Amino acid sequence: MNLGTATGRNKGIEPGAERAGRKNGRKFIYLSLAPVLLLFGVFAFLPIGWSLGLSVFKYNPLSGSALFVGADNYIRMLGDSVFLKSLWVTFKFVIIAVMVNIIITLMIAVAIQRIRTGWLRSLMRTLFFLPTIAPLAGTAIVWSTMFNFNHGLFNILLDKMHMAPIQWLSDPHYALYSVIMMTLWADIGYNIVLFIAGLDSIPDMYYEAAILDGASRWHIFKDITLPLLRRSMLFISVTTVVSYFQAFAQFQIMTKGEPFNETRVLALHIYEQAFSNSNMGYASAMATVFLLIILVVTLLQLKWGRTEWEY
Amino acid sequence: MHRRNKWLDGLIMLVLIVAACAMLMPYAWMVLSSLKSNMEIVSGSHTFLPSKASLEGYRTVLVDAPFGRWLMNSAVTSVVITAATLFTSALAGYIFAKHQFKGQKLLFILILATMMIPFQVIMIPTYLITAKLGLVNQLMAIILPNLVSSYGVFLAKQFIEDIPQDLLDAARMDGAGELRLMVRIIAPLILPMLSALGIFTFMNSWNNYLWPLIILNDESKMTVPLALVYFNGTHMVNYNVVMSAAVLITLPVIAVFLIFQKQFIKGLTMTGMK
Repeated sequence: MNLGTATGRNKGIEPGAERAGRKNGRKFIYLSLAPVLLLFGVFAFLPIGWSLGLSVFKYNPLSGSALFVGADNYIRMLGDSVFLKSLWVTFKFVIIAVMVNIIITLMIAVAIQRIRTGWLRSLMRTLFFLPTIAPLAGTAIVWSTMFNFNHGLFNILLDKMHMAPIQWLSDPHYALYSVIMMTLWADIGYNIVLFIAGLDSIPDMYYEAAILDGASRWHIFKDITLPLLRRSMLFISVTTVVSYFQAFAQFQIMTKGEPFNETRVLALHIYEQAFSNSNMGYASAMATVFLLIILVVTLLQLKWGRTEWEY
Repeated sequence: MHRRNKWLDGLIMLVLIVAACAMLMPYAWMVLSSLKSNMEIVSGSHTFLPSKASLEGYRTVLVDAPFGRWLMNSAVTSVVITAATLFTSALAGYIFAKHQFKGQKLLFILILATMMIPFQVIMIPTYLITAKLGLVNQLMAIILPNLVSSYGVFLAKQFIEDIPQDLLDAARMDGAGELRLMVRIIAPLILPMLSALGIFTFMNSWNNYLWPLIILNDESKMTVPLALVYFNGTHMVNYNVVMSAAVLITLPVIAVFLIFQKQFIKGLTMTGMK
């Protein structure tokens, strides 16, 4: 009974206080969220809509003329051999670079995790991680000089082994692979660290049980490590695929899409159409296609990743 | 825990050491090239080591180029962007986590959705908007579109949701206003998340290349990565000069990383941010 009146009295006081508090809270919400939302509005929501809108116009910022052309920009893509080639190059780059990335980062992470000396382990991790923090633009320039035909590092090494020099960045057979090599150097550190974290989170007892059962090293890796690493694996593959689709600086600096458009990825093609050729409408249409590709690929990965977990 | 196999362990260690040396090779190349003299490069050097170490490249970068200015541009924009992003992320995260208002869910989903949008999709309209604001070739153009981060808001919301409501109610009972609550109670509790977000925001804006490339072409306004590439275009033949600039730009980043390494790695595994 007493308790009842106590809560009753509390209830009597609370609504007033709460209303005052809520009023204050409202003011706080509106005042502080307004500038944040304004920024999101102007620099995130608006550009997305604008980009979709621009894709049905023929728009040149220099003349300032915008001509409505409907689906023409999209139809034009189907017959644009450079665009189709850049699609092909983009997929080739993403598939090869992501697969090699995941395989070597997983191997290096497993190897580093086996090291028992603490300082040695963190030294190794640091060494592989260092390139990821350097500006990619700088890395691309340094690698361009390493790929130089006349006095680059790689041809000096080939020369030492009495092999013929290679046009690393201007031979159509090698150019894309040269950029992939540089990209991997610059980027594997992230995934190594993420894989090590994933490996660390696997409880020792699974391994202990497997060793008692006399499982071989390979079986332990295949039946314990890999399945329990699935979450890391899904996360790493999604983020790596998305970031490699958007790879730009290394292509723009090292090859400019050459030779014979063998390294003209979509990200570079869109940039050049928009800012070198001032075809902003057409570039926006390509950007829309680019967005759809990334969305579909990500959703597919999530779907496959999830069904595999459930087994 | 494992059956140790000395032979296998040794082999793995050896492979790791070789791989680690390969990882360090470009750094060695960069430093050694920066020490070559112009003479050596023009005459076509075919060696890894400089025949005679020279600081000519560094002198050219520091004396003939507005190097200090470029560093300043990068430092100012990155610091402002990082400070603002931390503030706006924490604020918006707090509101989305602990307040209710109309359209909250929808707004949050919209903000999250922008995380999925590649920059290539929004760069053209963002350029047009920035140009309309009259900011082309101004450092403000680098700063303004980057004052908020959808990832930051998302992270802050996740972390602030875990703070017990009782703690906030108790502080309110003591008469603390919303801002005081943020500074005194929430900020200290989400400090690990904020420092991770801060490090990554700083690094991303320091290293950003595509947006400055679009919006800046005045040499004196350039940020470091852009200036380096521009510089490379004008000094292509003298790559000792370009390599010297690369060294000068890479060293501070590495130093900062070595100092904050722990927070960095922790932040990466905590947030998965790239």
